[in-house]
Amino acid sequence: MSEPTSHDEVTEPTTLAFAAASEVPEPAGGVDAVIGGQPVSERKQARRENWRLIRRRPSFIIGTLIVTVWGVCALLGDRITPHSPLDYRSTPHLSPRGDFPFGTDATGRDVLSRVMAGARDVLKIAPLAAVLGVLFGVVIGMLMGYIGGWFDLGMSRIVEAFLALPVVLIALLAITTLGSSDWVVIGVVAVLFTPVVARTVRSSVLSERSLDYVTSANLRGEKRSFIMFREILPNVMGPIIVELTVRVGYAVFTVATLSFLGAGPPPPSPDWGAQVSDGYRVLGAGIWWTTFFPAAAIASLVIAVNLIADSVQSVLEAS
Amino acid sequence: MTITSAPATTAALSVEDLHVTYNVRGIERAVLRGVTFHVAPGEAYGLVGESGCGKSTTAYAALRYLPRNGTISSGRVLVAGDDVTAMKSSQLRSFRANRASMVYQDPGQAMNPSLRIGRQVAECFTLLGQPDKQAHESALEALKKVRIAAPESVLERYPFQLSGGMQQRVVIAMALAKDPKLLVLDEPTTGLDATVEAEVLDLVRMLRQESDAAVLLIAHNLGIIRSMCDRVGVMYAGKIVEEGPSHQVFDSPQHPYTVGLLRSLPRHGVRKTERALATIPGILPLIGTDLPTCVFVDRCPIATELCRTVEPPEVPVGNVPGRFTRCHHSDRIGDIPQEPVNVDIAMLAPVDDNPEVLELSHVSKTFRQRGKAIPALVDVELNLAEGETLGIVGESGSGKSTLAKTMLGIESLDSGGLVSLDGHGLQASTVRRSAEDKRSMQMVFQNPDSALNRAWSVRRILLRSVHKLTGIKGAEANKRVEDLAEHLRLTPRHLDLKPRQLSGGLKQRVAIARAFAGDPRIVVCDEPTSALDVSVQAAILNLLADLQSAQRTSYVFITHDMGVVRYLADRIAVMYLGRIQEIGLTDDIFKGPHHPYTEALLSAVPSVDGEITTRIRLDGEIPSPANPPSGCVFHPRCPRAIAGVCEVTEPPLVEVSFGHAMRCHIPLEELRVLQQGE
Repeated sequence: MSEPTSHDEVTEPTTLAFAAASEVPEPAGGVDAVIGGQPVSERKQARRENWRLIRRRPSFIIGTLIVTVWGVCALLGDRITPHSPLDYRSTPHLSPRGDFPFGTDATGRDVLSRVMAGARDVLKIAPLAAVLGVLFGVVIGMLMGYIGGWFDLGMSRIVEAFLALPVVLIALLAITTLGSSDWVVIGVVAVLFTPVVARTVRSSVLSERSLDYVTSANLRGEKRSFIMFREILPNVMGPIIVELTVRVGYAVFTVATLSFLGAGPPPPSPDWGAQVSDGYRVLGAGIWWTTFFPAAAIASLVIAVNLIADSVQSVLEAS
Repeated sequence: MTITSAPATTAALSVEDLHVTYNVRGIERAVLRGVTFHVAPGEAYGLVGESGCGKSTTAYAALRYLPRNGTISSGRVLVAGDDVTAMKSSQLRSFRANRASMVYQDPGQAMNPSLRIGRQVAECFTLLGQPDKQAHESALEALKKVRIAAPESVLERYPFQLSGGMQQRVVIAMALAKDPKLLVLDEPTTGLDATVEAEVLDLVRMLRQESDAAVLLIAHNLGIIRSMCDRVGVMYAGKIVEEGPSHQVFDSPQHPYTVGLLRSLPRHGVRKTERALATIPGILPLIGTDLPTCVFVDRCPIATELCRTVEPPEVPVGNVPGRFTRCHHSDRIGDIPQEPVNVDIAMLAPVDDNPEVLELSHVSKTFRQRGKAIPALVDVELNLAEGETLGIVGESGSGKSTLAKTMLGIESLDSGGLVSLDGHGLQASTVRRSAEDKRSMQMVFQNPDSALNRAWSVRRILLRSVHKLTGIKGAEANKRVEDLAEHLRLTPRHLDLKPRQLSGGLKQRVAIARAFAGDPRIVVCDEPTSALDVSVQAAILNLLADLQSAQRTSYVFITHDMGVVRYLADRIAVMYLGRIQEIGLTDDIFKGPHHPYTEALLSAVPSVDGEITTRIRLDGEIPSPANPPSGCVFHPRCPRAIAGVCEVTEPPLVEVSFGHAMRCHIPLEELRVLQQGE
């Protein structure tokens, strides 16, 4: 029997529902049994049920809505902005009003249009950076976990050293040296993420490596690369997907920080971080809208991505 | 130890028509479907049945300690007359603190890893209102009561510094702190070695004589229930289908399920050459399945239309009070057909002139840990004939698995030793062995969940092995996979499922099919049935015997189950601390005279037939291989050790009769006298 012996470990109510469900004894049975349609459809049903439960979670709905709104802005850009984000000129520093709901900035451009158009940069750079960072991390983490020994020891020290460095300073330095193209920003953010992802993947691979299916693969003479990427990788996809969603959130944040510090796309590009950086100097004079709206845009996207990541995580980790 | 039956008002535990459901994905699913039984004060009541039948749920429900998705939907649980199901949470708390205890399967998880034993045990007494100093003294007393050696020093240790057997003793000491009226033991010895299990069971027996606690014992091992319990209830799909005094239930079962369960065990020294083991076709219904009539009807060999329409009542058996079976046809139990012999006996009979396929000479394996040498295998000499099964037994830590891994090249053996296959020496490590050598030796692992890649479909798992081991590709390989599946009685539909969609027995079949993908000469089986229920185990053992008779495959069969090894093995090697202590034909090993260690292993097995075995008990635990004892490595635990001899020189492995060798200073004839005289 596999009922739990303790009921104190699970604290989060949403995970509990899943944990409790999975602790109920699986259908045991005789080998002579023909697995009927029932257990099979039951599994499919379970998956459908999980997906239905994710979709029902308010955090997932809200997150998806916000991301969709920014996604539409990014895709359509100046085709749907009320004014041109770059060229339109009105009176500088108009406070929010009917025709300029978010007010205007120091050069008289419409803040709403610039915030909407600014989604494009961040939605282009952040997910790419996250994907690339996770990709590097998976390869390095897999090698660390599977090969182990001196390679793992050495890489682990390097990873730790990397994590001890002040991230933003290094990124700024790299971008200043290499120039601030989109690809440089993507590359730098990806490299910054690699060690963290590698560590997560390494620990998953370590526990996978000790399972007997790996021994069995060795007994029939599989190559290392086959074992790592064909046998083990599919079994550690859960934590990798969770890591990816979390990293997208961090990437939005990091990209905004870099452009705030001046390492983003050059003006007059309507980048959120750059807008905050342009606007915050006049905050003291009571002109809050040039800072507040782009800052709120950054926050809303980071929060939305994290809401989605949370939903995915709690479901994947429970199943 | 009284045998009672009637629901006396003073019953220590009364479970009355208990229904429990688990909420799975929003649907309430029935797990217990009206369980009723009573345990008198001082009585031991056992619950048996296969996994998933509701044994543990009953145990948890008895203390109202169900998982959060579990609900008692109707029925009552009375402990010494008090209704546990009606208690408020404060009452429940005081009830659990003062009157009932539970011992779980895994003692390691029942303790706080970061607190010293002394503090944890003392806590039980503080909870009862004792001041700290007194609680500490009581803790010491409690440890003495469970016969822990050096209790003062144990108090100062942390749980991880204790062996499994010691941990379980501490947990039992804590459970007994309150002098409970009811003690629930849920598979208390399942993770332990047979020798340690015997010790723990002896302890529980002894403690029962000292206290009047009623015991509810849950175990899947029928032998344990038989040797420990006055009465037994056989559970199936959330119902007790048969109940009565344990010797009666086990000696003359009256329910088809009990009959099936008992017949699937290798008992009375039956061998694979004599008959196949009985199996119970079909699977346990899933929880929540609608079962309006007899719960066992779909798997019952003697079911009739009556069974499908009318729920069977409790049919009394004989004139024994409290003895009943829930079957319409208990008078037709004798009609249940015996399993036919389905193996070709001629092919299985050991033939002396069979060619030798595997030979191990001077095989040693030394692990290095922080510069210290740890000998895990010491000078092992073995050979294996074609079509032969060599059983390897011993406690955990004896080197059984290391031996298997070394043969297969998963671990490289020390230089100086040699593993030869068909007369040619093998490379020490698998990766350097030729494709042909890899094909010739494959392995079946203990736990199919770990052994099968859960991301792959069954077809892909088998196809890959067929391809790698035989080089066949494409349609031809696919054909071979289908043939393999058919051989292993897997249907084509199973091929497209993932391992998690299969039951434990089916998964193990897939693992066996994979091992046989390249027509191996030798298959190493590492406890292939220890994770399975007995009826499933029977099917797997039958299958292994079948495959062997068809293909002349040789098996190296590692197990701790003496019944299983007796059924399947032609020869048996007994290992202790990396050395072969005794090796010989199965009959020689079981009939004796045997090595004192073998004797101890055999006497540790609780018999489901109620045979009284002379017991010699081992003291303590298997020593660490890093510091093996001087002389004979077994001497510190050997009840027959000769002072002045055994601790000085290690006896050589000497042939005492044809094909029977052991490592012991005591002459064979003297062993014979010693072992028969008791």
